[in-house]
Amino acid sequence: MTLLHAHHITKQFGGLTAVNDVSLTIDAGSIVSVIGPNGAGKTTFFNVLTGIYKPTKGTITFDGKEIAGLRPDQITTLGICRTFQNIRLFGTMTVLENVLVGMHARLRASLWPTIFNTPVVRAEERAARDRARELLTFVHLDDKRSQLARNLPYGDQRRLEIARALATSPRLILLDEPTAGMNPQETAEATRLISRLRDDLGLTVVLIEHDMRVVMTISERITVLDYGTKIAEGLPDEIRANPRVIEAYLGKGAAAHGGEQVEG
Amino acid sequence: MAVEATTGPEPLVARRSFRSFMSEVFGPLLQVLAFVIGSATILGLLVVLVAAALRGTRTDIDLLQGTISILPQVIVDGLVRGFLYATIALGYTMVYGVLEFINFAHGEIFMVGAFAGAFFSAALAASGMLDGLGPVLFVLAAVLLGMAVSGLLAMSIERVAYRPLRNAPRLVPLISAIGVSLVLQDVMRMIAVNSGLGFNASFKTPDLGAPIVLGQMQIAADRTIPISIDSRSLIFIIVAIMMVTGLNYLVNITKLGTAIRAVAQDRPTASLMGIDVDRVIAITFLIGGALGGAAGVLFGMRVGTVNPYIGFLPGLKAFTAAVLGGIGNITGAMVGGIVLGFLEAFVASYLSLFTRGQFSGPSYADIVAFSILILILIFRPSGLLGEVVTQKV
Amino acid sequence: MTADNRQAGQFTSLWAQLRATAGRGPAPYVLTLAYATIVSALLLLNPTTGLGTDMVVVLFLLLMFVIYRAPTMLAFKLTLGTILLGVIMPVFGVLNPFYIDVVTKAGMFASLALGLNVVVGFAGLLDLGYVAFFAVGAYLWGIFSTPQISNIVPGMVPLNGSWFWLFLAIGLAVGALFGVLLGLPVLRLRGDYLAIVTLGLGEVIRVLATNLDRPVNITNGAQGIKDVGRPPLFVEPLFKALGLNISVIQEYQLYFYFLVLLILALTVLVVYRLNNSRIGRAWTAIREDETAAIAMGVPLVRMKLLAFAVGASFAGTMGVIFSALQTFINPPTFDLLRSIGILSMVILGGMGSIPGTMLGAVIVTLLDLQLLPRIASELSILQRRGVPIPSWFDPAQYQRLLFGLLLVIMMIFRPEGLLPEDRRRQELHQDDLPAPAAEQEQPAPAAEAKPEPGS
Repeated sequence: MTLLHAHHITKQFGGLTAVNDVSLTIDAGSIVSVIGPNGAGKTTFFNVLTGIYKPTKGTITFDGKEIAGLRPDQITTLGICRTFQNIRLFGTMTVLENVLVGMHARLRASLWPTIFNTPVVRAEERAARDRARELLTFVHLDDKRSQLARNLPYGDQRRLEIARALATSPRLILLDEPTAGMNPQETAEATRLISRLRDDLGLTVVLIEHDMRVVMTISERITVLDYGTKIAEGLPDEIRANPRVIEAYLGKGAAAHGGEQVEG
Repeated sequence: MAVEATTGPEPLVARRSFRSFMSEVFGPLLQVLAFVIGSATILGLLVVLVAAALRGTRTDIDLLQGTISILPQVIVDGLVRGFLYATIALGYTMVYGVLEFINFAHGEIFMVGAFAGAFFSAALAASGMLDGLGPVLFVLAAVLLGMAVSGLLAMSIERVAYRPLRNAPRLVPLISAIGVSLVLQDVMRMIAVNSGLGFNASFKTPDLGAPIVLGQMQIAADRTIPISIDSRSLIFIIVAIMMVTGLNYLVNITKLGTAIRAVAQDRPTASLMGIDVDRVIAITFLIGGALGGAAGVLFGMRVGTVNPYIGFLPGLKAFTAAVLGGIGNITGAMVGGIVLGFLEAFVASYLSLFTRGQFSGPSYADIVAFSILILILIFRPSGLLGEVVTQKV
Repeated sequence: MTADNRQAGQFTSLWAQLRATAGRGPAPYVLTLAYATIVSALLLLNPTTGLGTDMVVVLFLLLMFVIYRAPTMLAFKLTLGTILLGVIMPVFGVLNPFYIDVVTKAGMFASLALGLNVVVGFAGLLDLGYVAFFAVGAYLWGIFSTPQISNIVPGMVPLNGSWFWLFLAIGLAVGALFGVLLGLPVLRLRGDYLAIVTLGLGEVIRVLATNLDRPVNITNGAQGIKDVGRPPLFVEPLFKALGLNISVIQEYQLYFYFLVLLILALTVLVVYRLNNSRIGRAWTAIREDETAAIAMGVPLVRMKLLAFAVGASFAGTMGVIFSALQTFINPPTFDLLRSIGILSMVILGGMGSIPGTMLGAVIVTLLDLQLLPRIASELSILQRRGVPIPSWFDPAQYQRLLFGLLLVIMMIFRPEGLLPEDRRRQELHQDDLPAPAAEQEQPAPAAEAKPEPGS
């Protein structure tokens, strides 16, 4: 079943075309990677999917609904959530509060009930905290829930970002370079966590990733962008052998030497 | 100087063709001229049309004749206000260009410049030299003094109150700048009141000459009025044009200008290219402050008195002008100043006339200026000519 | 580590030891009680007006913050606070009518500052035109309770004082409405633009207040509105029953003191509950990182508008009270300096911190209304006795300098304020304190950290 279908997406900034006529179909329950050299338009593509940028051209259907042109918060409420390439936590809030912010759209407490602190509000708040702690336990951060987010070590911050994204109760989660800057051991852990997102929580995962080991291990399908254009799409093995991909990464000359090098 | 290290042994200026030199120095001025003529024509036609439409409503005076007879004066007023806002706006826009920071205290830099001029003229008057100096020399000396004082002040403020906060969240230096502006107001007041100059300090000048009559305008069969420009306004406009030309030369032609533009575009990269970023930022404050100080002196000279709170409104409006033209864009600041100056001059003069004095023109001119600021920010945040500094998402 | 630093370190550890001793067992109870008793006794036994009493009043108000921070039971804090503010202060007010006015003003500004703190501190929106909403509330009651109303609605007579109570609520609603109306066009702007635009809007409201005496006389222009209505003194029989024989002026002083105290208490409660709710978390998230907040499903414009409206509604209500308290309002009361004064309270105390904001309001109000004028008059006495103090040195005249220096110095040396917001303290589990801020390691960009494929 198709969960998300991006149809001929183009995004231009002034004269610069960052994403050019890219189409992408994501099946529910799959793990898909988007790869490409730096500046290929991967993050811009994520920003278009999550509503931070409006596409210049093209349509995006999520679960049968058209979402291009919606605000990011509306898209999040529909069930798409993301993490950021350069971690964007709420630094002066505690770990627990960061997760609670993620639940914003799922909670109902409005102005007057909050001011009067009604039993309904109190019950909702209690339930939200319980749920937030479940999520923190899932990413192994529950014991650090009262710390300020900015004081966490790097790897914990990455996992907190995932917990915060999970708090929005997404069906599709977009991870922007989830293992960037990690050592091999942390990378392995992160890879396991990404698999658990799908296997334990039943989410659909799309990730931007530079580490080819991660990409080739967990992706079911891979899409390759270069200069804003989709140059290849397919199973990991197909991508590995695709001359255009090798050319994009290594330049024209290297393409002649065959594809086995891509795995790096 | 660090900037020199970035360019080759041959100076950039020498390689520039005369044509490109002229277009980079005087091109922006032509753009400004176009906006001057455009604003004056459009607004002039507009008020004449409104006057014609309202002609029957007033019996006491001939509205159309009244409208036309003050038009030349209003246009001169618009020009002066326009160049006033333009010169102050340049300071906002240059600093915004390099730091993406609104130097809230810039209006007070302008005010301090005005006081420097007032002190200068008071000292001359006290020693009896005021009339002996001659108008040209006096204006030149006063403006240069104002530029020096304000420029150095702006540079020191940057060093003390802004530089330590350069990497802080955006609002922190802004709040610091608000504080600086209040401090400057009161310190200047303290100095002015206790130096004998007084809270409302008079700005004495030597005899600057009678108004210059440019021509006669026939407004009725039996009535002509002279079109004239008073010498203080003329001085204001001439000096402002000279400064703006100089700035264009500095920014577009010299190596220093190249360095400033490089820092504005990408600070880390500029620093990697061997540009001393701290120094360039300090110089930017110096230049912006000097322009503001010169504007202050010219303003004080034209109005005749200065007080410690005169910086606030022109500062706010000049910021509006900078936003109107596209903040970070130097030509834009000039154009924005001109457009805003003309709009204000017309509202200030004609609103009372058209509403029989029910609405006070000058007060509502302020409201018009703020409304423009809000409308521009909402509907065209990049301004008339576009923001040069792109926002990095 | 330099010698200076080491010394500072020793000093801090000494301080920490002192705190530990004072904070253990019955010590905090005894110390707070002793402090409270001494200060109360000084106030009640010597209710004269002078620099000495000024200092004691300052100590009295600081005592509130000591009680707040002291490690004692909540019931103890509440009882002591209620006795001090509900009994000692009013009695002192009866004995010396000068100070209760200042304390009432401090309470009023604390409430205003808490409102601004919602906008600036919680949501991170720098609003430099906050006083506009205060003006709206003040003019609302000012117009409706005086003959000005007959100029707008012909035939309508001024409302009598009993309407004041309803107008507290109307002020709240109108303030919120103005907050939304002024906020709607500008809240999409970037932070620094927002500051300038709100400043412009604040000026527009003031210019309108000055100029709307024509064509229809709504605000009475620069002359302002005098004889603003006051609520009926329904508590008079109560005062009489207590055996108090005081003038109407003093009765009103006490009346407004208790009214402001009540409103302040309500404000604190509302702000506290909002801050610790879904709404407050959304505001903080917006302050920290707008892009991340909206990506987490926080509707930016709606939450910002809510912050604006909540802050503005406090100012609206306080404006109604202010006009009734002063019985006279005019445009200069609501100038930019007032907005910046309130902002400096928030910044001095600590943006986002409720007790901090109140502390800031108390300090700035006392400095502004009481201490600086007092120091000025003491100086002039000394001057007349021949002490060489330059005649231009008049601290009461340099409000701008005070606010300005306060803003610059706080921004450079302590941007988080005197009593910073501490979100961790609010969590239930305080046991697991983190290691001191291990500077967040900046990850190397992925492209550099990882070998490119095939390289």
